[in-house]
Amino acid sequence: MISGSRLSSLIGGAGFVLVAVAFEASGAAWTVETLVELIKDQRETSVGFEEATYSSLLIQPVMSRGVLRFEPPERLEKIVTTPSRERYVVEGDRVTFESERRGVKHTVSLEDYPALRSFVEAFRSSLTGDLLQLRKVYEVSMDGSRGKWTLLLRPREPSGKAVVDYILLTGSGGRIATIAIRSPDGDRSVMTLLPGAAR
Amino acid sequence: MSRPRAIRLLWVLLMGGGMWLSVTQVVVHSELSDLLPEGTTATQRLLLNQARSGLAGRILLLALEGGNPDELARASGTFSERLRASEHFTLVENGAQDLRPPRRGIVYESRFLLSPKVVPGAFSSDSLRRELEHRLDDLRSPLAPLVKETIPEDPTGEFFAILSTWSGGDRPGKHRSVWLSKDRSKALLLVETKAAGFDADAQAAIQQEIRQTFASLDVQPAHLQLLMTGAGVFAVEAKQTIEREAWRLSTAAAALVLLFLYVSYRSITLVLLSLIPLTAGVMAGMLAVQGWFGFIHGITLGFGITLLGVVDDYPIHLFSHLNARGSAPVVMQEIWPTMRIGVLTTAIGFAALLFAGFPALTQLGLFAVIGILTAAVVTRWVLPVFVPSWFLPRSVSPTLPGKLERLTGLKPVIPASIVLACATLLWSHTPLWETELASLSPVSDAKKQLDGQLREELGAPDVRDLLVIEGQTDENVLQYGEAIEVKLQTLRASGAIGGYDLVSNYLPSRRTQQDRQSHLPEQSVLKRNLDQALKGLPFAPGLFAPFVAAVESARTQVPLERKTFQDTVLGARMASLMFEHEGGWTAVVPLRRVVDRKQLTETVAGWNMPAVAYVDLKEESNALMNAYRDRTFLIVLCGLLAISVVLALGVQSLSALGPVLTPIMSALAVVTAIVNVSGESLSLFHIATFLLVIGLGLDYALFFNRQEGSEEGRSRTLYGLLVCSTTTMLVFGVLAGSSIPVLHAIGTTAAVGSFCCLLFAGIMAKKELHASA
Repeated sequence: MISGSRLSSLIGGAGFVLVAVAFEASGAAWTVETLVELIKDQRETSVGFEEATYSSLLIQPVMSRGVLRFEPPERLEKIVTTPSRERYVVEGDRVTFESERRGVKHTVSLEDYPALRSFVEAFRSSLTGDLLQLRKVYEVSMDGSRGKWTLLLRPREPSGKAVVDYILLTGSGGRIATIAIRSPDGDRSVMTLLPGAAR
Repeated sequence: MSRPRAIRLLWVLLMGGGMWLSVTQVVVHSELSDLLPEGTTATQRLLLNQARSGLAGRILLLALEGGNPDELARASGTFSERLRASEHFTLVENGAQDLRPPRRGIVYESRFLLSPKVVPGAFSSDSLRRELEHRLDDLRSPLAPLVKETIPEDPTGEFFAILSTWSGGDRPGKHRSVWLSKDRSKALLLVETKAAGFDADAQAAIQQEIRQTFASLDVQPAHLQLLMTGAGVFAVEAKQTIEREAWRLSTAAAALVLLFLYVSYRSITLVLLSLIPLTAGVMAGMLAVQGWFGFIHGITLGFGITLLGVVDDYPIHLFSHLNARGSAPVVMQEIWPTMRIGVLTTAIGFAALLFAGFPALTQLGLFAVIGILTAAVVTRWVLPVFVPSWFLPRSVSPTLPGKLERLTGLKPVIPASIVLACATLLWSHTPLWETELASLSPVSDAKKQLDGQLREELGAPDVRDLLVIEGQTDENVLQYGEAIEVKLQTLRASGAIGGYDLVSNYLPSRRTQQDRQSHLPEQSVLKRNLDQALKGLPFAPGLFAPFVAAVESARTQVPLERKTFQDTVLGARMASLMFEHEGGWTAVVPLRRVVDRKQLTETVAGWNMPAVAYVDLKEESNALMNAYRDRTFLIVLCGLLAISVVLALGVQSLSALGPVLTPIMSALAVVTAIVNVSGESLSLFHIATFLLVIGLGLDYALFFNRQEGSEEGRSRTLYGLLVCSTTTMLVFGVLAGSSIPVLHAIGTTAAVGSFCCLLFAGIMAKKELHASA
């Protein structure tokens, strides 16, 4: 784990130098490509989050807190600590879901849950800088400046559209600040990332 | 009008009438299930009933191949949508079902009676609180859009609890949400037809429709291919094979026999004359079977034609004895005593098959007995009056007896071949007896292989292991089912079985439904509990009014019955898992991945529930087949005994029995060995054909031993015998080339048997010929 993060910070550092050199050469154009590259370079292996879920069934949002972890290229983990412990681990095609409150542990295939798959694709491809893959699943559009940007993802496939209207990421530089997900019926969740809060 | 003329006229009238009846009345079936026996025990009858119309038979496995995974997934989606639009299926699955919102309807409406979670205390404020917190978790989860809709009406999650008890089995992996094989070269689909698997006509139409639907898909890349397998596909292939071969083989056999007769005697007249008893025999056999059974099976018909190989001996005997001295009626009168014993004994042999209790064999037996007797009678009384007075078959080389005498030196061949046959059987690696029912199926190995492969991929194994629950009423059976559910859960948890499909999971007994109703609180109590449970939770006020109303109406709801589900997918599933059977009700519980069958047998016996039994279908069906084979064997022995008695009475000397019976018994031993060496094990059809061999052998031996009184007469007799046996070998040789195992078994046994009988009878008869000369 330690050597892994060292390695990735090493690679990240090297990437940053390269990107910086590229900026110099291209006159610092602000494009989706540069943004995604930057996110990849500045990502952290784990980051705290706070999520608010708004639903038409609820009079106030449900709040939850936890940690997101990413181990490139495939492993993605969402640990909810409050209000109760839950854990989603995505490894390749397998998703393991554990809930303390329900006393269950399921492992399912992403292929069985296309809804889940579109989230995972969004995270994975933005975090690994794989814009090609991201564009395969979503229509990608960016707004704003390097200091304050928004990245809008809209699913291309009907299976994705059935559960996600859009995913909106905001941030500054290579750092993601919030991830908002809106479903077609208007319900949404807003996740605020808290760098450094994970440890 | 003279007597011969009257006979001819009568004959023409009878044949005309017979022909008319054959064309208008005879119904030819080719479904294999028509040949299955009724079964002697209740379990066997149940099993056969399942084989005919059970769920396993109604499932077709489909695969699309020849594209990349994305193309396959797209084609699978469009294809299954189109198939769902058809009326012929109760189910079309391609893996994409999870995408669609949960199906509403009767199950959703009746969730409080169907859910296993409705137990005492399920609607207390504590339980409700717990469930509501889970719903909050659901709303936070990425799958919220899928469950959100049901929350106001079903906050306790009864509907999903019901779905989770329904058996899914092992399912294949997916790509773009449709099933794909492990190597990702095929998209997989599973359809359940309304028609029974053995209903070959309906299945043929449905499979044609599936192919047409596939061909009309516009999304497919041109090289995409459709593969299809399942009991229904097998039934159609079996039917087509039987129909094709019955006609092809009988045409070939008939043509060969007639051609050979012509070549042997160079006389069109003779060929036409021999047709008289042949056609009469076949027609009478066909009409007799039709009259008794109401239909004739394609296999019986195919076999019937091969009777030609036996009954053509009768006219040949007549022709071979014709000479310038006597007219046909006189000659017939002379040889009739010898022929009569042959005919009677052969007919007695086949009559034994009438008691086989196996429709296939009973039909064969009846056809043979009537066919042989008719042909013999026609040869005796009709044929001679048709023989023109000028007709004389060409003379035969008088050196023939001399040539045959050289067989003397071969005398040691008989004991040698018996010893060799026994040794072969003792040291052979091929089992003597066929114990696999499946080996009788005319379905090609390639098809069976594809079937095995797709079943493995789709996790839809052949149904082999069943629990059978029996009760007086459907309610009894459902209650028993509920009683064993816990035991089955334990077995699954311990890994002894992979899963099960229990009818009471779809339809709980009336008693259980009423119990559940009694656990539903009154409206005021429920409201109070709910209010308490909701304290501090952010749900919108009044959100759960639909839930309260639904519980209230469920309290007085009429319990569900089988009829409620009629004409639905679930109804079809229930009907396949539970049905009326022999005045009572029976449920079958298919088990998946049984690890240790012996252990399971003991476990189930240990439950001490006489209403529940474990059945290994494969074992059971093979046992059934073996029981019939043993019975057939016994029948053949009885037939042989009866034949010996008649023979002893006929030849009026026990010492004369030796030269007649020895060649036959030796021939049977050699045939058994040759069949075994060729890698086949004896099935009941081989055994049944032994009767035919015995009949043929008798005929040869009797004529070999007949005293002729002249060198020329002996020449004719021997020539006749050679022609007889050659036609027999030709006909059965054709049959041996059949791809239908039943006909192949009959063909090989009879062809080899006929040859051995002739050879051995020739060797044994030599001395008698000398004595008469």
